[in-house]
Amino acid sequence: MKKILLTLSILFIAGFLFADVKIPVVSPYTGPLATFGEGVKNGALLAAEVINKNGGIKGEKVVIDLEDDMCEPKEAANIATKLAGDKDVYIVIGHLCSSATLAAEPIYKSAHLPAISPASTNVNIGKLSKYYFRNVYKDDFQGKFLARYADEALHAKKIVIFYENNDYSIGLKDAFVKEAKKRGLKILGTEAYTQDDTDFKPILTKYRALRPDVIFIPGYAPQGTLIISQARELGFKCKFMGADGLDDKIMLQNPDAEGLMITTPFIPDKAGPEAKKFIEMYKKKFKSEPNWFAANTYDAVMLAAEAIKHAGKNREKIRDYLASLNSPQKAFHGVTGATYFDKYGDCQKPAFIKVIKNGKWVGAEIQLK
Amino acid sequence: MLLQQLVNGIVLGCVYALIAVGYTLVYGVIELINFAHGDIYMLGAFFMYTFLNFGVPFLPSFVLAVICCIIVGILLDIIAYRPVRYADRLAALITAIGMSIFFENIALLIWGADIKRYSREWIPHFFKKLFINLPNEHFQNVFLTVSYLQITIIVLSIILMIILHLIIHKTKMGTAMRAIAQDKRAAALMGIDVNRVISFTFALGSGLAAVAGIFIGMYYNSIYPMMGYIAGIKAFAAAVLGGIGSVPGAMLGGVVLGMAETLGAGYISSAYRHGIAYAAMIFVILFNPAGLMGKRKVDKV
Amino acid sequence: MERKLKIVGLIIGLFLPLFPFPGIDYITRVATLTVLYIVLALGLNIIVGFAGLLDLGYVGFYGIGAYVAGLISVHYGWGFWYLIPLCICAGALSGILLGTPTLRLTGDYFAIVTFGFAELVVLLIRNEIWLTRGPMGVAGIPPISFFGHQFTKEWEYYYIIFIIFLIVLLFIKRLENSKIGRAWFAIREDEIAAQCCGVNLVRYKVLAFAISASIGAIGGAFYARWFRFIHPDMFKFWESILILCLIVFGGMGNVWGVILGTIVLIPMTEILRNILPQEFVQARYLIFGALLVIMMRFRPNGLLPFSRERKDENFKSS
Repeated sequence: MKKILLTLSILFIAGFLFADVKIPVVSPYTGPLATFGEGVKNGALLAAEVINKNGGIKGEKVVIDLEDDMCEPKEAANIATKLAGDKDVYIVIGHLCSSATLAAEPIYKSAHLPAISPASTNVNIGKLSKYYFRNVYKDDFQGKFLARYADEALHAKKIVIFYENNDYSIGLKDAFVKEAKKRGLKILGTEAYTQDDTDFKPILTKYRALRPDVIFIPGYAPQGTLIISQARELGFKCKFMGADGLDDKIMLQNPDAEGLMITTPFIPDKAGPEAKKFIEMYKKKFKSEPNWFAANTYDAVMLAAEAIKHAGKNREKIRDYLASLNSPQKAFHGVTGATYFDKYGDCQKPAFIKVIKNGKWVGAEIQLK
Repeated sequence: MLLQQLVNGIVLGCVYALIAVGYTLVYGVIELINFAHGDIYMLGAFFMYTFLNFGVPFLPSFVLAVICCIIVGILLDIIAYRPVRYADRLAALITAIGMSIFFENIALLIWGADIKRYSREWIPHFFKKLFINLPNEHFQNVFLTVSYLQITIIVLSIILMIILHLIIHKTKMGTAMRAIAQDKRAAALMGIDVNRVISFTFALGSGLAAVAGIFIGMYYNSIYPMMGYIAGIKAFAAAVLGGIGSVPGAMLGGVVLGMAETLGAGYISSAYRHGIAYAAMIFVILFNPAGLMGKRKVDKV
Repeated sequence: MERKLKIVGLIIGLFLPLFPFPGIDYITRVATLTVLYIVLALGLNIIVGFAGLLDLGYVGFYGIGAYVAGLISVHYGWGFWYLIPLCICAGALSGILLGTPTLRLTGDYFAIVTFGFAELVVLLIRNEIWLTRGPMGVAGIPPISFFGHQFTKEWEYYYIIFIIFLIVLLFIKRLENSKIGRAWFAIREDEIAAQCCGVNLVRYKVLAFAISASIGAIGGAFYARWFRFIHPDMFKFWESILILCLIVFGGMGNVWGVILGTIVLIPMTEILRNILPQEFVQARYLIFGALLVIMMRFRPNGLLPFSRERKDENFKSS
């Protein structure tokens, strides 16, 4: 106990000496989901570099404070309490997993500390607290959009869905199924898997004789790439669709994933100058393609810096500033397009479809309006 | 469909068995639940990745990766396990858990958290070819695909099992290992160099883990620092199911577990696939309290 | 000397959240978590330390307690104080259900069956969405209240868990020195000898299970009402392992050792979070793992070993 006291007192004294603006970025950097945290970390560090190169926030440098929650609710709540009690923290970027976000949310709420999550999609988050904002797609919008695309652009008749047993995947699946049923598409089956699974052949085998047109994978890239490879090995000839969760460089390295279609807020080869510059800088700094975690976090940090610049170092005012971005006219323009919030702090983003061609993401030929 | 599911089940079972034989070997000799075994398996896959990445051809990298893992295994024994050899069994278990956490995080620091793939050019073309590919002109309505890699995994696990069995039962080292399993102290009094034999066991176990890691890494083609954790638990379950300490038992346990999981996922519910496997395991153990092929120890006062 | 230390520790514990210190909320939060883990570790210690059975499925009971408490308070609005007896019953019941069929099993077979049980509990929680909301988690659990006063501050929760801890500690200390406790020790040292001396194995093993599971369930109930959110990810296998580490690290079978082990290990990762520089943010658990290994190297019986002399020979029969 004494040790903590001592450490903390040193830290607090140290905290007062630096005049920089601290922006904590909470995400899993260790543990089983660390692979998602990688993009978050890189995106945040890149954003801070860009801000500081352009003079910082009113002359003060931005310092990214990486906090590792391992996607564990217990650790997330500890960090949240730490940040809530730290007078130098005005806004938090995080958390990544919805379970961590929901555990931290009551703490931020009682400390009046605003937070932007770049990745948590659980529908409850916005409704529970007015201090939580999200610059990520809502599941229902994205699922519906993909079902429309499957019908109107791909003319799919028979669809199989493989979803991961988490709230992100289930939300997407439910929205997709609802829209697909309305349009009269046939859902051959929905199959759940977990984040620990590596062998998908048993569930793939079930559907081979039924010859689906499209396999929809509303999950994450680590399992998505395995599903696609194993399906091709079993002789599936169908198309694959996914949501932003599959946006990862591992897909580009997988030759079987050629032709995979996913949603994206911006198309790399036709992107605006802002997004193009981001991709270039990212590639130069980290020697790899940015994924959606990186892009969303980059935007979230930029938005946070913008909010501090406009509202000053005041938690309540920063929240009000973020809440005031409530229409397309007032939107914040970042690399993932325009971000503005509804009354729950959730955002609407434009959606496009991108596809892998020759190991590169390009915009799909048919885009919905 | 049933045919393909059976093939899926056997391959998955052999994947578990490949890890479980190394697990059960170490257990059989020093009665240690070696939680770090799964992580050596992970290191095997990563060493292979690193050597291939440096442009070393397939076979030499394979040998190098296995040698590296053997060295890690021996060091693991000397540095971590030897000091707690005569302490309480749980102390050794906690040491194993500590080493497992240590390896996972070391790998995280060295190779980073994102998933790695073996590039297509790195792997010999042979493994990608299909051994059976149906339907073709002769069989219109049968769906069955089996790749050479799958055949390799099945054959490899059987060969390794036989080799291990022979080492344990036919060589001098194997006799020494069995003697130590019976009674460490008495074995030492008989002139057996206990530390050397146990180090040999670890070397063997780690080498097997490395082979498993490389082939399974190739089979699923996704390697990441935490891959050993789940694999280790599954292998542990397979080893116990088969009767821990018994090499053919580990093989059988792996196949039963893989089969239960595959058929469960294919015919009952994909959400409960692990549940079905664990339920089958619990069921077997409750009725067969020493596992499928383990010998029931009779405790004497 | 040792007695004095205990009293000093108790006093520090009693007044900890009252220090007027910046960031005291954070310290209190970590302290609350530590005390919660002490309660859980004391519960597991009954099976592992007292009765000598390696239980890898303790987190199952913890999860059952948390979900019973969480769901009932969300749907029926029960108060925390009524939930405690309910969770004790739920925990004891599940403990008996698991304990009875597994009695014949020994050693690692027992361990793997308890592990399978915990995995099945988590799978049920994850997949039965109609009941548990599955991976969406149960959010919006009300905070604990007492005669109309809602507890929202960190220090209030600290004192609630501290009182629970004191009650559990008192209960376990009494048990340890009773007939039941001695029966457990006898089973741990030598099952067959104990049976020959007239110890009813079935009865005492199931009892150990029931009590241990109830304490786990109480911990779960508190956790649900303190976090006000529960999720299947909170009850992963790793939690069982962590609690087992606390026990062995502190000194298996010794209540004070278990407490000390928890006080050292649980805040450890938080301390490391604060003292490690940013570049080593990923090395936190590396150090944690190394610490476990080093500790076992130099004190294989834990910080405060169980007082009865344990000879090497015991190792063989365990």
